[in-house]
Order: sequence, then C-alpha cells, then structure tokens
Amino acid sequence: MKMGEVLKRIEIPIALTIIATLLQVLPYYFDIPALSSVASTTTNAVLLIVAYATFVGVISILLVHGKRVQRRSEGWHFSILVVVFVAIMVLTGLPLQEFGLGTNNSIFNWIFTYILTPLGGTTYSILAFFITSAAVRAFKARNIEAAIVLVSGTLMVMGNAPIFTNSVPVLADISLWIRNIPNMATMRGVMIGAALGAVALAVRTLMGIERGYLRGGGGDE
Amino acid sequence: MSIMDKINNLDRRIIYLLAWIFVLYPLIFPLGLPIPISSDARAWHSYVENNIHDGDTVIFAPMYGTSGMPELFPMTVATMKHILEKDVKFVVLSFWTEGPLVFNALLRQVDPADYGKVYGVDWINLGYIPGSETAMGALATSFQNSVANDYVERRPLSDFPIMENIYTATDIDLIISFETGTPGAPEWLRQWNTAYGVNIIVGCIGVSVPGMIPYVTSGQISALMPGLTVSAEYELLLQKPGLAVAGVDAVSTSHLLIVLLVVIGNIAFFMTKEEEK
Amino acid sequence: MVEMIAAWTAVFFTLGIYSLLYRENPWYRIAESVYLGVAVGYGVSVDLLYIRNQWTGQWNDSAGMMLLFAIVLFIGILWYGRFNKSTFFLYRWPLAIVVGTGIGLALRTVIDAQFLQQIASQVRTPFYVAGNMGATINNILVQIMVPSVLLYFWFTGTARESAPMKVVEKIARYTMMAGFGSAYGYTVLTRYSLFIGRSQFLLGIPPNDPENQLAFWIIAFIMLASMIGWDMTHKKAPVA
Repeated sequence: MKMGEVLKRIEIPIALTIIATLLQVLPYYFDIPALSSVASTTTNAVLLIVAYATFVGVISILLVHGKRVQRRSEGWHFSILVVVFVAIMVLTGLPLQEFGLGTNNSIFNWIFTYILTPLGGTTYSILAFFITSAAVRAFKARNIEAAIVLVSGTLMVMGNAPIFTNSVPVLADISLWIRNIPNMATMRGVMIGAALGAVALAVRTLMGIERGYLRGGGGDE
Repeated sequence: MSIMDKINNLDRRIIYLLAWIFVLYPLIFPLGLPIPISSDARAWHSYVENNIHDGDTVIFAPMYGTSGMPELFPMTVATMKHILEKDVKFVVLSFWTEGPLVFNALLRQVDPADYGKVYGVDWINLGYIPGSETAMGALATSFQNSVANDYVERRPLSDFPIMENIYTATDIDLIISFETGTPGAPEWLRQWNTAYGVNIIVGCIGVSVPGMIPYVTSGQISALMPGLTVSAEYELLLQKPGLAVAGVDAVSTSHLLIVLLVVIGNIAFFMTKEEEK
Repeated sequence: MVEMIAAWTAVFFTLGIYSLLYRENPWYRIAESVYLGVAVGYGVSVDLLYIRNQWTGQWNDSAGMMLLFAIVLFIGILWYGRFNKSTFFLYRWPLAIVVGTGIGLALRTVIDAQFLQQIASQVRTPFYVAGNMGATINNILVQIMVPSVLLYFWFTGTARESAPMKVVEKIARYTMMAGFGSAYGYTVLTRYSLFIGRSQFLLGIPPNDPENQLAFWIIAFIMLASMIGWDMTHKKAPVA
C-alpha cells in the first residue's frame, strides 16, 4: 500500500481522537505528573490549533461570494460588500501594533462600535416581532397539551412584567412556581438524559464507532 | 369575512407596527410603573453583598457579544459597580470573541479608577481566550500558560502584581459570568466548579433561564440573575437606577401586548370553531 | 461631524435589519452583507492577536517549545486541506485532535456536574417539610415529575403501552408542556429586552447619543417611503 493511501485511512484521525481524549481523562483520575504536564501542554496546543483555523471562514466566504461576483449571479452587488468588509476588518485588525494596526486601530474600532454592534444587537432582536405574530396566529389551545403550554406561557409572560405583578402580586409567585417546579423537573430530566447521551457518544467515539464528525469530502471511510 | 376571520388572517405587518408602538411609547413617555423586587434580585444582591469578602479574587466574565448586550449589559454594569465598592481583586476575561469589547463599553460607563482601583494591582483584563471549553480547562490549570499578555497593555502577566498570587483555578474565589449561550455555565461548572470547587454566579438572558434552574436548585450555581426585569430590580436595590430601569416600562407594555394578542387570537379561534360547528 | 456620521451609520444599519419586517428588500441585503463581512473579519483579528500573544509567551521560552510551536503551526495548516478534494483527509487530523480534547475535557466531569449532582439534589429533596405544606406539595410533585420525564425519554415505542407507563407518559407530557410554557415566557422576555435595548438606542436615550433620534425618524421615513413607493409603482396588473 502506498504511503499516500495509508495516510488517507480513517483509522489515523480516529486514533488521534482516542489519544487526545485519553490524554484529558487519564490525568484527571490518575496522579501521574508527567502525564499531567503533557496533557496541559496539549490543551494549550489545541487552543492554538483552533485559532489557526481562523482563515477557514474567510476562505469559504471568498470562494462563495467571489464566485457570485465573477459570474454576476443574483445579488452579486451585495457579495462585493461582504468581500470588501472582510478585507477591511482583517487588514486593519492584523496584530501589528507597531504599524498602528490591531484591535486598537481606530478604523477597526469604529467599524466594531458603529456597524458590528448595532447589527449584532438588531439581528437577534427582530425575533421579538415574529414571536408577537405567532402569539396571535399560532399560539392556540387546540388540545389539552397546547392549553397547558398556553396557560403556563401566558402566566410566565405576566409574571415577568411589573404591570401585572404590581396589580396581581400572586402572578409573580405563580410564574416562579412554574419555573421552579414543572420547568425544573423537565430540565432536570432532560439534563440527566443528555448527560447519559453525552457519555454514550463519548464512549462510541472512543471506540471508533462514532465517525460523524469526520464525514465529508468523499474521503475513505 | 367575519371579524374573527379578519383577526385570524391579520396582515402581520400590522402586528409588527403594534409591537413598535407598544415599545416606543413608554420609552418616549415613561409610565413610571412601580417595580416590585423579586426574590431573584434579592438573592443576587445578598450574595454579592455578603458572600464576596474583602481580599477575595473574582473572575468577572462578560461571556457575550453585541447580540446579548441589550439584556445583559445593564446587569453587568450594575454588578461591576457593586463589586467595585468592595476590597476585592478581579480578573476580567472572556471566552467569547466580543467579550473584551463589551468590557470596553462597560469602562466607558464605570471607571474602576473612580473607586480607587489600580490596573495591574487590583484588577487586570486578560481579554478573549479562544478555544471555548478547552480554553476554560486550560486556564484552570495555568493562567500563565493560557494567556501570555494582558489585553490592555499587552505586557506579560508576570509584570503585574495582581498575578503574583493567581496561577490556577484554586486561586479564584468566585466566578461571575454573564452569558448568552455556549460556552457558558455548563462549561464553567464542568471545568471549574466540579473540578476545582470554585463557586459561580450567573447572569443570563431569559432564554437560558429554564436550563439554569436545575443547577440553581442543586446549589451548583449560587445565584442567578434571569434577564432584564430582575436587572432593573437589582439596580433599585443598589439605588443606582440605570439602563434596565429605563427599559422596564417597555417590558410591561410589550408583555401586555403579547397577552392581549394571545387572548384575542384564542377567542377568535374558539369562535371560528363554534361557527364551523 | 464625525460623531454625526457615526450615529447615522449605526442607525442606518439598525433600521436596515428592521426593514425586513416590511419585506425582503435591498436595505436589508446591504445590512446583512456588511454584517457577515465585519463579523468574520473581526473573528479573524482576535484569533491572530491570540496567536501572536501566545508566541511571546511560553512558546518561545526554549528550543523545545519553539519546535513544538512549529509542529502545532504545521497541524494548524492542515485545516486548509478541506478546500481540495485530494487533501481533504488532512483536514480530519486537526479536527480529530480538537474533537478528542473537547470530548475528554467534558467527559471527565459531565457525569458529576450534570448527572450525579442532579440525582443527589433529587434524592436530597425531602418528601415532607415540617410546618410547610406548600414546600411539601412542591417536593412531592418534583419527586413524581422528574422520574416521569426520565422514564418518558428512556422508554419509547411499545414500552409505553403498559398501563403504568401510560400514566407516566401523561404526567411527563403535562410536566413538559408546562415547562415549555415557562421557556416561552422567558423567550418573550429576552427578545423584547433586545428590542427595547435597540429602541433605546434609536431614540437616543442616554447613555446613547441623542443624535440617533433624528437619524431614526429620517432614515426610517426614507426606507419606508422607498419600499412603499416601489410597491405602489410596481404593482402587478391583474390577470385578464
């Protein structure tokens, strides 16, 4: 078998996953100073490996939007904006403080403060309108279970608003009860189940059975 | 078309317009509705007041970005003002990319120097640490190996007196984390609370609150600040009304709109069902 | 002048996103495109700063650490194998290391943090609290609801057909519905809190710049007028 074929085998990343996992788990349960030192260095190395992936997003964006501009596809004018602003932020944000660049650069900070901050805050807030629309159109007591959701949801909404809790103080107690009893019971059950699921997934990954994270690219599996 | 049919088929833009009106009106013409103080606000206030002692070292972690600022920024500012009145050392850091810039926005409103705190002696900013839960685990084993330089002056940590006694998680007395998602409280609990026994209090957006309650009930999270309304109550307890108090009237009117729409929608639904029968 | 441009820029992008409420339109597309570009660029900058800071820290302490830094850099470059089919396999190596480390870090404490501690808290909940009937009832409810929810998730399909499981299923479903109602209530709070924050910004309520309010009304008028005007002038003719 050629070297290239060997390197493409899926067993290599699976082995790396197992070693990386055991390197974190074993020092936690066994006091072996050398192993702890290796684990600590590996963890710091992994932080760097994660940071090195930073250009993956940029390249993906340039490939997608660059193609759109090149082919004059639908919305290509907007793709120019994407590419231009990526370039501006990356170039002004380069960690070269000696040349006045970096996260303290005035252009970089201006764009963060007056463009990114308003855009970020607004994008998630728009869901408020969709929730409001859903309140009248979709939130209906079609059956008992829907009625329970409706009643508890409405009581919760009232319990979070001083206009209601001032006039009817017991609403605050009721919403606290809903949060601390049925909600807590639901979340505790989900959490325990999820923890077991996470352990099962981790064991499957350690055994090399779970390979979903390695899929893609039409590679050898 | 009956009135009920019209309600069922209402143009959603009219609903959006109602939402704008119900929110903008109390902001332009404040209603001054009284704000009752809840047990959550009292618990948070009491914890910060009574369980953070002089000489403690605290991690202050704004674990959110611009998307969470409207809801979390008021509680972050209020809590910072509260702990600045104490003789504690605090380390600012974040595992969210925009965390440091959120803290910079906080500094424009609250200057530790006004409380006699000296940078590098009483507090330090370590900035953003990439790597999510892995970074949290790495930081717990060694601050100096995970973060080379501070965020403000870009100097080695060894240059700062505050870091002379901070090496690992065992040197931290409390984590104060404000968060909108992952990484957040579960990761802090796994890497710091369970592994090293460090206490944690969490301020979070409303959406995250249901998932936090089991941790609060089990005592893993010592106090919880659940959303904007409780932030306003906390500001009143501190006698420092701020952004949260300014926005609570709008919370009331917007929630009133939701309740009205739910009621109207269901009345229309049941009456339509009656007509069909 | 600079402050005015800043205020108007921030308001423009805020309203650009909100213009989606009327309908899909070019204002929204501009705001969305700029957001994407700036967010990605910002993330790259902070990561590069971290890498540079790390190099000035422990990684150039000794020859051994420098060599290790070079190895880590080489592994980091393997990420970019994903952009070519013939080198895609290389992308899996750093991914495997990162995933394995993450699993290891979570696995060692997830059992305690999210399993044992929750079960301990459940077991420690007393059925009877002397002198407090409310707490007693609540505790009994918790002792019934939590196991019901767990059994509901663990036993599915034909396992739910027995009479006891039918009761458990009903209790679990009603418990979860009440819990989801709680989640809905808090979701409303969060989304409106975010919208209120943006509204305070648009109205220039301190500590926001008062200049924002003028920009808000003017830019909102221009955007709405342009969209409504476009719709009115481009109404489709009725089909004959």
